[in-house]
Amino acid sequence: MMADRVIFVCTIVIAAVYFYATTLIPTLEIGDPLGPKAFPRLLGVCLLIGAALLFIEIWKDRKVPQPRPAPGPRDLRHLWIIAGVSVWMGIYYSVFEKLGYVVATTIFLLVLMAWFNRGKWLANVLSAVLFCILSFVMFVKLDVNLPRGVVAVSWISDAILVVVNAVITAFKAIFS
Amino acid sequence: MDTLTHILNGFSVALQPINLWYTFLGCFLGTIIGVLPGIGPSAGIALLIPVTYGMNPTSALIMMSGIFYGARYGGSTTAILINTPGEASSVMTTLDGYQMAKKGRGGAALAVSALASFIAGTLGVVGLTLFAVPLTSMALKFGPAEYFVLMFFAMTAVSSLAGKSPAKAMISTILGLMIATIGIDLQSGQPRYTLGVPELQDGVGFIIAVVGLFAIAEVFYSMEEMTKGIRPQMIKLQGRLWLTRDEWNRSVIPIARGGVIGFVIGVLPGAGGTIASILSYVWEKRLSKHPEQFGQGAIEGVAGPEAANNADTAGAMVPLLTLGIPGGGATAVMLGAFIMYGIQPGPLLFQNRPDLVWGLIDSMYIGNIMLLILNLPLIGLFVRLLYIPSGILMPLILAISTIGLYAINGNPVELYFGIIFGVMGYIFRKVDIPVAPMVLSLVLGGIMEQSFRQAMTISGGNPKIFVGSTITVTLVALSVLSILLPYLLPRLKAWRDGSRDTA
Repeated sequence: MMADRVIFVCTIVIAAVYFYATTLIPTLEIGDPLGPKAFPRLLGVCLLIGAALLFIEIWKDRKVPQPRPAPGPRDLRHLWIIAGVSVWMGIYYSVFEKLGYVVATTIFLLVLMAWFNRGKWLANVLSAVLFCILSFVMFVKLDVNLPRGVVAVSWISDAILVVVNAVITAFKAIFS
Repeated sequence: MDTLTHILNGFSVALQPINLWYTFLGCFLGTIIGVLPGIGPSAGIALLIPVTYGMNPTSALIMMSGIFYGARYGGSTTAILINTPGEASSVMTTLDGYQMAKKGRGGAALAVSALASFIAGTLGVVGLTLFAVPLTSMALKFGPAEYFVLMFFAMTAVSSLAGKSPAKAMISTILGLMIATIGIDLQSGQPRYTLGVPELQDGVGFIIAVVGLFAIAEVFYSMEEMTKGIRPQMIKLQGRLWLTRDEWNRSVIPIARGGVIGFVIGVLPGAGGTIASILSYVWEKRLSKHPEQFGQGAIEGVAGPEAANNADTAGAMVPLLTLGIPGGGATAVMLGAFIMYGIQPGPLLFQNRPDLVWGLIDSMYIGNIMLLILNLPLIGLFVRLLYIPSGILMPLILAISTIGLYAINGNPVELYFGIIFGVMGYIFRKVDIPVAPMVLSLVLGGIMEQSFRQAMTISGGNPKIFVGSTITVTLVALSVLSILLPYLLPRLKAWRDGSRDTA
């Protein structure tokens, strides 16, 4: 399989990089005899053994002819989409603290849902907004610190907390 | 009779209202996680760890183990109704369970799954109760050399049993160990592989790796399927949720056999629920008087594997609690949780905190009862979850993963690491590199290196310490056996099939 050969090369490269990075570790002359480099060196050797075993497996498979339909551009479409989702997640994370959890996550979810659950606007908006509000309140109550964003947007998060707290107090008042 | 007192005390802990609530919560969440494809118990437990920081560790662990064995109950629901395992170990249930559903016997399949899971799960906890104490007394003889070889054995076992290619599993294991070396080396204080990034000084947290490799990567894979237009075909539930007398008679012995197989496999470090259910299926097919029915809706093909994957959860808790060695992916995450709470599982845990460990074990009896109720009469509730469109569910899982990652340290850099692990997990899945060995070695890596260096310090640099005692020699022999196993098994099979043909 083509992928196996790529893995083989990547493994050798990783082992080489790892060995090089190991030499960058500063060593003290005192301390335990093995030092911080011993175990990593052992690991590097084991990784090369693994690469060797993989080579043997690739070699054995060479004799078996593999049916290989040529991948057209259609077949690779999912890779582009996943790359796109990863980039979108990166963007989401870069503004996560600035925009605050509620705003950033709502936008993040709406775009993804618009792509993967096309056309169902009402369901998407309801799910995204309700999820963000409810999860925000729930996790704040569980003492998990979710960002509220810079001053321009933090009022949204604060408003949500005020409203939900008011609702809870009202319920308690009615039912007690 | 000291142990009996501890067991009874454990019940008094497990029956406290707060712990009953957490047992229920764990089982409930576990069933949901098991039913929903795209998220499994390992990721679920990892996401909950930061949330549980302020909690009593006993309660937190009770909840996490509830998620662990609860997911095994839930996974069969999707396997039967949509032909997709909701959880990896339910893969064998798809073979006959879905066929049964197509023939209108879906209710019976769900019923036998729940019953098999309950019976085998409970018997498994009994096994755990019986084996725990003798194993801990043996574990007290373990020194750093013994622990190192034990962890080595665990890794060789995972490598040889995970997937088709032992070479790739080995590479996955070593990569995990390498990632575990990132950070400041505790014994010398020197930074390793930190690339000048301050966040890397504490190393790469295993929670980030688990969430990325299991949750995010799984979402990517689902998105790929959505893009390709692969849509699951769901079968509506007809008929009663019960078995006929005949179906029950056919299921009893497979349940018993599956339970034993599952428990034994669970105790073995490395082998997990998937292998247990595969072995049970193969065994039942071989022992059946009508093997041709397997794959067409034979109830034995559902009862056996479901029993096996639930007994496996109890078995996996044995090495985790007695030796501090995880039996698989989800228990590896639980070990990480133990470490985060500052608790060291192992023989000392049984001595110093019998309330915690027996409270945990006894909560599993209660949990299994709760799960039987959740999965039989209340199964309709969870089936409704399957109607949520993937286009909404997958983004929500990404959002939940984000909360989980951010909750660890409030550091956005760790979010980016999560994406990296997610992409890595997706690539690994496409090229057939198993991910479970990497998670296992990531969690154990630090301890393994410490044990290695401690042992060498004790022996003054002499590697013979690793074959110096009966325990180490046995474990080394077992490791060698598990390394050779994937190469020997095909030859054994060929030899046996050959001799059968000529007989």
